[in-house]
Amino acid sequence: MPPRLNVFYLARSIAYRPKPQLQCRIQPAFRVQVPRCRFYSNEKDPPAADRSEKLESQPLGHVSEEAATMAEITGTEGPDLSKGTPVEEVVKDDKEAVEKLPKVMKDALKAKSSSSPPKGSRPYSTMTTQPGGGSGLDVGLVDFKPNTPAPGIAGVKFGLPTLPIPKDAHLKHRYDPVVDQVTNLLMRHGEKSVAQRNMSLILQHLRTSPIPTINPARPLIPGAPPPSHLPLNPVLYLVLAIDSVAPIIRIRSQKGAAGGGVALQIPVPLGQRQRRRTAMQWILTSASRRRNTGSGKGGFAQRVAQELIAVVEGRSSVWERRNAVHKLGVAARANVVLPRKR
Amino acid sequence: MSSSQCLRSFFQLSLDRAAHQSIASRSLLTTPQTACFSISASRCGPPPRKGMIAPPKRGERTLNVKKGKGARAQDTSKRPAPGERKAQRKRIVLSNNNALEVPTLQDLSKETVLKQENEGQVKGLPEAVVDALRAVEAFKPTQGWRLFRRPAILMRRQTMQLVELVKQVEDAGKGAAKQTLRRVLVGERLCGKSTLLLQALTVGFLRDWVVINLPDAQDITNAHTEYAPLPGSQPTMYTQDTYTANLLSQIATANGPVLEKFQVTTKPSLPVPIPSKCNLKQLAELAIANPEASWPIFVALWNELSQPGRPPIMLGVDNVAHMMKDSDYLSADIKPIHSHDLAIVRHFVDHLSGKTALRNGGIVLAATSGSNSPTIPGLDHSIQVAEARKLDPENVPQWNPYKKVDQRVVDCLKDIEVVRITGLSKEEARTVIEYYAASGMLRAQVTDPFVTEKWSLAGMGNIGYLERAAVRERI
Repeated sequence: MPPRLNVFYLARSIAYRPKPQLQCRIQPAFRVQVPRCRFYSNEKDPPAADRSEKLESQPLGHVSEEAATMAEITGTEGPDLSKGTPVEEVVKDDKEAVEKLPKVMKDALKAKSSSSPPKGSRPYSTMTTQPGGGSGLDVGLVDFKPNTPAPGIAGVKFGLPTLPIPKDAHLKHRYDPVVDQVTNLLMRHGEKSVAQRNMSLILQHLRTSPIPTINPARPLIPGAPPPSHLPLNPVLYLVLAIDSVAPIIRIRSQKGAAGGGVALQIPVPLGQRQRRRTAMQWILTSASRRRNTGSGKGGFAQRVAQELIAVVEGRSSVWERRNAVHKLGVAARANVVLPRKR
Repeated sequence: MSSSQCLRSFFQLSLDRAAHQSIASRSLLTTPQTACFSISASRCGPPPRKGMIAPPKRGERTLNVKKGKGARAQDTSKRPAPGERKAQRKRIVLSNNNALEVPTLQDLSKETVLKQENEGQVKGLPEAVVDALRAVEAFKPTQGWRLFRRPAILMRRQTMQLVELVKQVEDAGKGAAKQTLRRVLVGERLCGKSTLLLQALTVGFLRDWVVINLPDAQDITNAHTEYAPLPGSQPTMYTQDTYTANLLSQIATANGPVLEKFQVTTKPSLPVPIPSKCNLKQLAELAIANPEASWPIFVALWNELSQPGRPPIMLGVDNVAHMMKDSDYLSADIKPIHSHDLAIVRHFVDHLSGKTALRNGGIVLAATSGSNSPTIPGLDHSIQVAEARKLDPENVPQWNPYKKVDQRVVDCLKDIEVVRITGLSKEEARTVIEYYAASGMLRAQVTDPFVTEKWSLAGMGNIGYLERAAVRERI
């Protein structure tokens, strides 16, 4: 029986923030769903009911059920059990219960009782939305005008920042996390500026290269945008290529565990950053094996970009490498030591 | 063994020497057969040591018995042809098929290019002009043309200054007094000096001027092309036949429609025969087939263009600092040749200094370069003087008399005027950022805070850094 009043829908308002972000990030293929809560009151029988055998020791149903049973006995019409009963209704005539209500509900009750229209008229409007502004209904857009100055707050020149503060507002996390990580992986001998130039060249190459053709035998991660969108969003292109070939496990060789001097191969799950790091290192290895066709500074960047395109198009040898690791992991899955169940 | 038998077997051995190299090498008969008298130094060096044998040629199969990493097969594929790598590095790409077409982008045309309303707008270049600009090598590989669907330029404040100059020359051209305007384009690194020169050339092409552009002064003076003294010149000048021939072919390609309209009227005496009823384009094209006659052809072409009734001329050079110093060429007595003694450079510098005027009017533009340019104290000083003179003619800086200066440089830039390229204004920055966003190269909402952020990151609107911050993903 779903509750009549879903608490979650009430609490959720649309958090709308015009994000000043350069790139849009990959959305995960499936959204993390809010687990559907089951309340005790939702269940058909309270949990205590099935434990006790005796009828008299079983607890009574809640107020609505009780009322319904009473109504059934007396032959009158009770409350509809298919809908929940709001607390206000339950405590309507009970003074003592009203006093013990939480303060929020007490206030709400008080406000409701004194909700008679105000007398007299004001010379100004107290409406929050502009009358006749054409903006229509206020659909719960939070922080729509973030920069409105707060005149009442003293000592604040530019207004308060809107909360929550966006992720990239932090100085050290101002760039896309994948671009940051790949830049650091491209770096050699601590020359970060060179790595940044290479990163820029890679993104430029991805941006000017023709639309990739996806190999159906090598599917990209689910939820990937159509290939025609990729060159216009090179960061997404890069993330897609890396995440598509990223392995989900690595194989740890435990010495002596198998006996007879054989190492026991244990698959170990990888975190997201670890997965991307592994994938990028594979890509860089196979890019450095490519032939340099040009000359000058951009040679390596060009080869890496070509390799990334090859990954998306399913031509790269990195795919075989990933599949080999996964195959080995599946074969060795019996070696995984799980924590003992209690 | 009898002596006869022994002799016979010895004889046999010597016959078999060719067949059995291993025996032969041990036999006494393998004394090296050298000529009695030789001046060759073949045996002077020490014998090759073991392990010093030259590595096998590329693509040759060798025995590789190594195991592991070193056993990887050698790359036997074909290497790029000579010059191919450089061509790839210097390739100029002017379009990006992935970029979106900007629907509001309008092309410049002959009529609209001089209008004042263009200021602060992004305008497209018509295809004919793009071809012409490509022919005169006005596009540089470092510029961001390859990101957009087709080339477009921002008509910024300095562009409008140059457009004013063009108007001025054309208005003066209607009267008797023709005007020659000379400007040096200066500014910080990446502030768009070469692009401004390109914009000026664009206006020239659109207004049917004759446009002559020296794409990079370094190419003239770095001794990569052949040179020869010009007979009968005092002091000796040096011509560069290959470079001049190339320049003439560029002029002919880029200005073809203009040059075709005019017939040769003077009787130039050239070492090559001129076809009868020859127009100026054909005259310029003569140099392609006869590079050795290219300098006389260039002089003849210039004389033709100086005849009355011919269009104004726009002369441009980029990276001008390279032609303000000694070139890398050497004279017959092993002294460096000053760049002003090279015939092409002399020709240009005479017009830049105002020593020779353009008969039909025109503009001489010299752009400095922020990267890859030598420090020329005389040039820097002259620019300072020119800027100070514009502010207050009475109060100009003086050269420190105890320091050496190249007097030829100071003389040639004596009364030059300077166009200082500053950063974009915020409105211009907004226009260009909106163009980036409309092309799909920038994924952001163009708001005032965003524009201000990029404008400040770009050093108060330096357009090169603005592009880098907004489009190039250069962190």
